[in-house]
Amino acid sequence: MESLGHLLSGFAAALSWYYLLYALAGCILGTLIGVLPGLGPAAGTAILIPLTFSLDPTGAIIMLSAIYYGAMYGGTITSVLINVPGEAASVITCIDGHQMARQGRAGSALGIAAIGSFVGGTLATVALVVVAMPLASLALKFGPAEFFALMVAGLCLVVGLAGKNIMAALLMTVIGLLLALIGLDPVRGAPRFTFGVEELFDGIGFVPVVMGLFGVAELLLAAETRQTHMIEAELKSWMPTRQECKDCVGAILRGTGVGFVLGLIPGVGAIVPTFMAYVLEKRVSKTPERFGKGAIEGVASAETANNAYANAAMVPLLALGIPSSPTIAVLMGAFIINGITPGPFLFTEQPTLVWTVIASFFVGNVLLLILNLPLVGLWAKLLKIPFSYMCAGVLIFCIIGAYGLKQTMFDVWVMLGFGIIGYLLRKLDFPIAPAILALILGPMMEKSLRTTLEISGGSFAIFLDRPVALVLLTIPLIVIGFLVFKPRSLAPLRESDVE
Amino acid sequence: MLIRRRTLLAASAAATVASPAIAQNYPRRAVQLIVAFPPGGSTDVGARILAAMAEKDFGQPITVVNKAGAGGQIGFTEIARARPDGYTLGFLNLPGMNTITLDPERKAAFTIDSFIPIVNQVLDPGFIWVKGDSPYKTLADLVDAAKKNPGKISACTTGILSDDHLAILMVQEAAKCEFRIVHFDGGAQQLTGVLGGHVDVAFDNVGSVFKRVGTEIRGLAVTDTQRSKFLPQIATTPELGMPSVISNSTRGVGAPKGTPADICKIVETAFLKAINSAEMKEKMDAVGLALKPMVGAEYAKYYADLQAQAKKYTEWALKMR
Repeated sequence: MESLGHLLSGFAAALSWYYLLYALAGCILGTLIGVLPGLGPAAGTAILIPLTFSLDPTGAIIMLSAIYYGAMYGGTITSVLINVPGEAASVITCIDGHQMARQGRAGSALGIAAIGSFVGGTLATVALVVVAMPLASLALKFGPAEFFALMVAGLCLVVGLAGKNIMAALLMTVIGLLLALIGLDPVRGAPRFTFGVEELFDGIGFVPVVMGLFGVAELLLAAETRQTHMIEAELKSWMPTRQECKDCVGAILRGTGVGFVLGLIPGVGAIVPTFMAYVLEKRVSKTPERFGKGAIEGVASAETANNAYANAAMVPLLALGIPSSPTIAVLMGAFIINGITPGPFLFTEQPTLVWTVIASFFVGNVLLLILNLPLVGLWAKLLKIPFSYMCAGVLIFCIIGAYGLKQTMFDVWVMLGFGIIGYLLRKLDFPIAPAILALILGPMMEKSLRTTLEISGGSFAIFLDRPVALVLLTIPLIVIGFLVFKPRSLAPLRESDVE
Repeated sequence: MLIRRRTLLAASAAATVASPAIAQNYPRRAVQLIVAFPPGGSTDVGARILAAMAEKDFGQPITVVNKAGAGGQIGFTEIARARPDGYTLGFLNLPGMNTITLDPERKAAFTIDSFIPIVNQVLDPGFIWVKGDSPYKTLADLVDAAKKNPGKISACTTGILSDDHLAILMVQEAAKCEFRIVHFDGGAQQLTGVLGGHVDVAFDNVGSVFKRVGTEIRGLAVTDTQRSKFLPQIATTPELGMPSVISNSTRGVGAPKGTPADICKIVETAFLKAINSAEMKEKMDAVGLALKPMVGAEYAKYYADLQAQAKKYTEWALKMR
């Protein structure tokens, strides 16, 4: 009850016109950051920190949080329209979102993403208010062993649900993991598979690879056919229909749950919740074969999980002072620069500030919805631009994005190279998503496995001692067992396809 | 070491004579300040505060550019390879930078002489801590336990051959004990690792955790010659009978080799003024980063001495691989 009183006074402060203005400015800037590929939420937020130096601490934090949420949403727009994820968390949105756009349902996809993001963000903030403190300390129990097991489970589920292309999906996962090995050894620092090329020391950048495999490959495929527009289909919808919204209720609620729970665990990153939610949705769906072919639930689940995660990730930050993702680490830096130390004492020492900021999360989510729903039509209209212009524009956009990441031409070549690879893979009907997920999760998986073994002194028996890790590791075994013996009950699943 | 440095200074002085016009007009445009670590970390926070304050006197914008990766190696390489015209400066993280050059497996494209140290900003002392309810009440408790169970007590670092790793090696050498070393990627992971009960003790720095000491975490020792102003209640390693265990992390601004000396002087003047300002002190106190302004011969000597010290422990660590 005490928190409710604090929250109400927080709302009173957050709704004052100047804080509203900061939140609005943050949402707009964030959306722009999300739209630009390469400029992810972490880098974008860092660049904008000096902008907040002149504000008061509360205003600065409100604005930076709004930038963070805005960026999480902005990535969706390019995923749906041109199959280029603006940031990591939007990779999954590409799968069904872009298919929907191809069917002329870009408006529905963007609309449901905005609605899902709003519901996910708001519910996660409610949960934050209610359960922040006890849950945060529980999350600490999640160590490197559990972390590794979670990654393995996630990858196996993605492979397992690849349906008839199971071998292809497995192969793509392995390729992704191999690509992830390039670069400096995460523990010893020795270069691996770099062939003396210094740019490879930091590994193959995930953003140029994704932009190549999705964006550039898409352009090449489109260029094959003589078409006048990026997407030939008539724009059928500006907004999700009532039926579509109804279909998505379950997906949105499940996405919120998945995103919130995973957001509490430090280090999970924004992409894991999105694909976990997606896989879950495909699993419970009565018509899983629609996934990958423009299923609106796929977009809704991933986007909801994404924003629920973004809000839940504030729990370990505010309650423990632990940043759970790179973007949150930047936010924490901004907190500290503004003289606020996140952690257990924040709630007791600076209650006004914390509760104003939490209230501003609600406000920010509402602002994003108000800002984005009317804009959906405008964004979707971009697809009416003639193909020749659009094609050149997207390519320039991708090149700038790839270059802007580290300001090196190397990433641009990587992107173009993977564009050609992606084109060939699409022609050969190989799924791309498993490779991308493996590339993103590979370094985290390797690092957590090696840390686990450092802790255990090299013994794998540590996984047997940890119930959570054991359970998470047995799921993949069951999945693989099912695939080997192909029981009848799984038959309908095999028809479907993650990609 | 020192001789080579002199040659270098002479060479850069000669370069200045040849092109006096460069320095007269410096700075004419924005200057890049490369940080070899990701945004939001201690180095980045300090760098952004410094850049925002120094640019007032500097007359041109100072843009912080994060080139993170490979334990700083990517960013350091970038600084070393930049055109030495004063428009690319960078943060030099010691001893992390030293150990990269000392480990042949890293195949670093730079040596310690690829940089001109201009002005130091921060000295963050090493700090040994355990969870608040840990059975180890003192550094002696911890060392005794490590002696009784060699290789069983897990101690975590913020990366292989980081200052924290060197500090563990120093304690092992001083107390003749052995820890099980776990390498994490940074302070946040150390915090979850130790508070979650996955690792026994953290070798860390004061700045990242000083506000938590006393409740969630118990400080055992500060690895410096004097007590930290942020943790005056915590004894130093020399006080606890380990005078050879001195480890800290320093961060300062440097330029690529060949940058004209008078340009370096302009940078030094502007940055030093910012570092000595009251506003800087206030902002850095809030973050728990102790300022340690060093310039000229003092910084150059520190830079060279640290290389010699890091060499010993790096070779030792490499032998244990």
